[in-house]
Amino acid sequence: MNTAHTHTGDGHEHKAAPMVEEITDYEVLEIAVRELAIEHGLFTAEDHRRFTEWAESVGPAAGSRLVAKAWTDPAFKARLLEDGTKACKEIGIDWAEPTGVGTPSDYTNFRVLEDTPTLHHVIVCTLCSCYPRPLLGMSPEWYRSTNYRRRLVRWPREVLIEFGLILPRATWESEWSEAQLQFVRRRG
Amino acid sequence: MKKNKTLKTSDTPARFKVGDRVQVRDMPNIFYSRTQNYVRGVTGTIAACTYKDLIPEDEAFDHDGRREQYYIVRFRQKDLWEEYPFDNDTLQTEFPDHWLEPVRN
Repeated sequence: MNTAHTHTGDGHEHKAAPMVEEITDYEVLEIAVRELAIEHGLFTAEDHRRFTEWAESVGPAAGSRLVAKAWTDPAFKARLLEDGTKACKEIGIDWAEPTGVGTPSDYTNFRVLEDTPTLHHVIVCTLCSCYPRPLLGMSPEWYRSTNYRRRLVRWPREVLIEFGLILPRATWESEWSEAQLQFVRRRG
Repeated sequence: MKKNKTLKTSDTPARFKVGDRVQVRDMPNIFYSRTQNYVRGVTGTIAACTYKDLIPEDEAFDHDGRREQYYIVRFRQKDLWEEYPFDNDTLQTEFPDHWLEPVRN
């Protein structure tokens, strides 16, 4: 951030300064890798722009439609629990072609987990931070933190309490650690 | 990027079915692994057979290799962590066939 300063009336000119004075190492790395990839023809700058626009625009609307349909249509719910990837197509999400602009999908397998009064599911990716982005948009920052990813598998009930959820001892708590599949839990 | 072709492109047979007891192997990671440290050497139960796909070690390097059966394995939290106080809590995660060994009850 530029620091404010006062003029003493000496009439000197100000050059335009960037709004962000520092750039992180990760941003430098991203720019370098992206430029190399474009140079090597892996994708075009136009491809990158379209994918970025898609990734930044997706929110949880599709996920909401999915859950609402499962609540109101028991036959759909059964299909959803049986084959999540296929059922998503019924609400307009194709895991193999999520962006609609031809960019491939990282993850093409999706499974829905149903909570019950005695079974609560919680999801984490300890290996990276896999998240069902075509349905829910970008993951929240805490989901990607090493803090969450390390602690949830070891102390799940304690971490859930920090989120405001206290599970009774009788409830069976079930964790789903993403390795290849994407999981989303929904309340029955 | 060209895909590297290896000799094996057929599917390897699935060795396990739902309900089988399996132990996660602890093999050296060569450049890449998606088998978590906290499950290695632990015994669990096959909860589901999901699909056949490339193993992570090949997929990460864009190799076309054998496709293996993937399984969701269920572990008791009490078996994963020392002094875990809740009896019924479980953890599920997924492995390709070659990371699992059969266990006799």
